[in-house]
Amino acid sequence: MKTLWTIFLGITIATGTANAGSAAEAPPPVTQPAAVVADLNPQWIAEGEKRFRANCGRCHQSPHKFQPRVMATAVRHMRVRGMLTEDDMTYVLYYVTH
Amino acid sequence: MKQALAKLCVAAMVYSGFAPPATAQDNTELRAAAEETKPVPVLSGGAAFVPTWDSGNPDLVSIISPVLLVPVNRNLIFESRAEFEGDFVRRNGNSGDFTGAIGKSLEYAEFDYIGNKYVTFTVGRFLTPFNIFNERLYPNWIRNTQTDPLIYPIATGSDNGLMVRGGVSLDKDVTLNYAVYFSALSTIDHFESERHAGLRAGLFFPHRRLEIGVSEQHQLQDSRFNRFGSYLEWQPVRVPFDLRAEGTYSREEGNGLWVEGAYRFRNAPASLLRRAQVVGRTQIFHTGTLAGINPDLPDLDTKRTEFGVNYYLNDGWKALATYGRTFTSSGESNIWTVGMTYRFVIPLGPAQ
Repeated sequence: MKTLWTIFLGITIATGTANAGSAAEAPPPVTQPAAVVADLNPQWIAEGEKRFRANCGRCHQSPHKFQPRVMATAVRHMRVRGMLTEDDMTYVLYYVTH
Repeated sequence: MKQALAKLCVAAMVYSGFAPPATAQDNTELRAAAEETKPVPVLSGGAAFVPTWDSGNPDLVSIISPVLLVPVNRNLIFESRAEFEGDFVRRNGNSGDFTGAIGKSLEYAEFDYIGNKYVTFTVGRFLTPFNIFNERLYPNWIRNTQTDPLIYPIATGSDNGLMVRGGVSLDKDVTLNYAVYFSALSTIDHFESERHAGLRAGLFFPHRRLEIGVSEQHQLQDSRFNRFGSYLEWQPVRVPFDLRAEGTYSREEGNGLWVEGAYRFRNAPASLLRRAQVVGRTQIFHTGTLAGINPDLPDLDTKRTEFGVNYYLNDGWKALATYGRTFTSSGESNIWTVGMTYRFVIPLGPAQ
């Protein structure tokens, strides 16, 4: 029983220090600098969101949007792991970083 | 003349309805805009505490699985995942102290070079691209049912070698994805690998959110087995439902399939209910001509059906509970799983 509590405590401490991301809800908006918001292309955003939902849902629940530079890394990872096409990656990258 | 012009207009309208959403110039601008944000190294991964009671015998499964992602430049990325898994069982089956060891494994450590729109080269230690569970669904925070499928030990794990893979649009409605690989024999501790050649190919229909595919692996050592697989994934656009299935055939090791459906109450009026997902999976396994040659597979023909609930909490936490019944020629037994999983993401540099 002591082992059980040690393991549980270890996991809780290890994970409690990490930045959190939720799979429970649809991705919330990410705060962007005013200059970037002003240049947003709504068509690219809409297409990126569509491809994001179609491709990401193949493996897991629609993920939380993390900080832009983290998403830029995650999308490149998914290009390889999820075998996204170049166009899919570009639209999704635009969507998750804007 | 007017008739010809009208036909041309209709043709143009019809074509534009099927045209891709962006022109070549748009694509250049889009790419430049999308790549404005520079990637940062990330430490990600998951943790899970998923005790399982199989035939009344508890196994306290505890897993921490860190993933390291390091984008080197625009086309090159290094990624790695390790797994630390403790399987703590009672000394006398269902009585006595819990005891066990922590297993350590390096599941992948690979360089991926995105050559062009058709090809990505992977070198190093990679997850064997056989069907979908091993590469895409294995992490505890992703999988809908926590126990491994019965056929999982066939043709999966990790390989050391070279892989060529990619995703290519064949049409606006069809995407081809493929992986072809060769791996070398390695007996180094934590870097074990067999000599294989294999491939996986799938067709993804994005508008229907349907993917089907096949896999093949040829063992280039010992008995030179062939393994074949097929898979299906479907997420209807209007219904928050996941359907996944895999089948595997190996004449010597055995064959079987699993089918899993999961429904998320995303449209429920109560917000608490929208976080819940019910899941059911049924599977069957038949032993091969050399039963026992793969020690991770069941010794007997086996059927198993499981039902469960996943509850997505805030901040990457997921609570889960599953009940299953296993049927073999030697009897029936229950399998229970109750636990929590967690997914974390830590940027290793400025993230904004």
